[in-house]
This record gives sequence, C-alpha cells and structure tokens, in this order.
Amino acid sequence: MSLAVADTCLLINWLSFRRWEDIFRLSHRVLLPGIMVPELRSERVKSRVEELAYRGRLVILPRVDYVDREALRIFNLINSTPGLPRIDEPEAYGLAYAALHGIPFLTDNASPKVAARSLSSLRGVVVYDSLDLLVMLYRGSELRSAVEEFMSDTSVTFSKERLREAGVEL
Amino acid sequence: MSLGEEIARLARILGLELDLESYLKAVEELTRKTAEGAELRRRSADWAYIESRPEPLRTALKLLVETGDVKLVSAVTGISPETLECERIEARIPRLVV
Repeated sequence: MSLAVADTCLLINWLSFRRWEDIFRLSHRVLLPGIMVPELRSERVKSRVEELAYRGRLVILPRVDYVDREALRIFNLINSTPGLPRIDEPEAYGLAYAALHGIPFLTDNASPKVAARSLSSLRGVVVYDSLDLLVMLYRGSELRSAVEEFMSDTSVTFSKERLREAGVEL
Repeated sequence: MSLGEEIARLARILGLELDLESYLKAVEELTRKTAEGAELRRRSADWAYIESRPEPLRTALKLLVETGDVKLVSAVTGISPETLECERIEARIPRLVV
C-alpha cells in the first residue's frame, strides 16, 4: 500500500512506538483528514505531525461534502448499534474517504472492521489495526520483539486469539 | 422490535446496503471478545496517576477504565480523543485490540 488513511488514535499510538518510522515502510504517505487536525492538542504530537507533513510523509486531506454525506451514514449506523465501540466524526470521515478511493484505513477501533465486512458501500476498503501492521512489517523473533515493544510503549494490548492467529507467543 | 429489525430499519432509512446477518454476528463476536477488557484495564491502570489528574480528566480516565471506549468518553466529557489517547498511555490503561 503506497497510501493509507489513519485514525488519530492509531497515529498517536504509532508516534509513541520506538520504531514509529517503520510505518512508512508500508505506506509511503499517510493521509490524515483535515477534520482530525483540530483534535491534536499535545505539542509533542502536533510538532511530529507538522514535521511529517513538511517531509511529505503525512498529507492533510481537505473536507469534502460528498465524503461527509457517506461519513454521516456510517457514523449513524455504528453509533446506533449496541455493543459496537463508538466512532467519531473524523474517524467516520476517514473511513468513508478510504472506501471512496479504495485505499486502506488504519485504526485500532474494531467498529470500522465490522462495518467494512457488512456494508456494500465499504467493500473497497481494507481496515488494518496495529497488529496487522506489525505482522506486515516484521517476521519471526523480530515480530515478537516488536509486539512486546509496541505493547510496552503504547499500552495497547492484543487479544490472545489475535496473537495466536498472528503466530506470536508472548 | 428486535435488534436485528431495528438495525435493518435504520440501514434502510440511511440508504445503506447491509448484510444484516454478518453484521449482527460480528457485533456478537466482538462483544464476547471484549468482555474481559474492563477487568484487565482495572488491574493494569496506574491508579496513582489517574488520581493525580485534574478534573474532568480524572473522571474521564475512570470512565475509560470502565468502558475502554475513547471515542465514547470523548463524546461524553468533551475531552478530545487525542488528549484522551495520550493520557491513556500515561495512565497505562490497556487498549484491547481484538
């Protein structure tokens, strides 16, 4: 994948990971919808985002009406489904944008993955979470080390089932 | 009206083509997989850090321990998801990816 749209929370977690620059081995450019930018308040995150934008690694997407309309429909469906983690407007926008252009969407929220499997309008989008990215980046013992480091740096925990599927034993 | 009928009706209103069976199955599976999350978060969180935070952040972090849902806590408290995610990492509240 040369391009991917990222959710803010996933981006923050990856920017906290000691091997954060490796994400650009998978996606040459990460797209961040402009609607997500006002969410960024921490100086550390903002300065890193600005640096990445300057280097051309991160592209801020403009807000477009027709993406907004699709995002609102996804937002309403997910947030009206009991048992699904909430999705916010910027994340719904990012997912709708990714679907429209057939590029991957990166998030650690399970709801976009669920929606992408069942909604015809999201058929074009592949949703990856952090474990998917780690599996694509590393192999064998390096994968195991990377997963441990990622969990330690970000307090993200992967379920035993997902780790087993990925062939990672901690 | 059952949950399935409600979701199907909503999808129709929104003009979304939804595979209802796979959607409901995925939601049920997700609920099962995330059931143990609250206990894990309670056990792993840095409570001294949480208690040291000013309001409304302290209450938001406690709510995050219970729900594990950053976007929900953000919507309820008005604290940005980015701030909550940074605070979650500091407070060592695990985010369970299933």
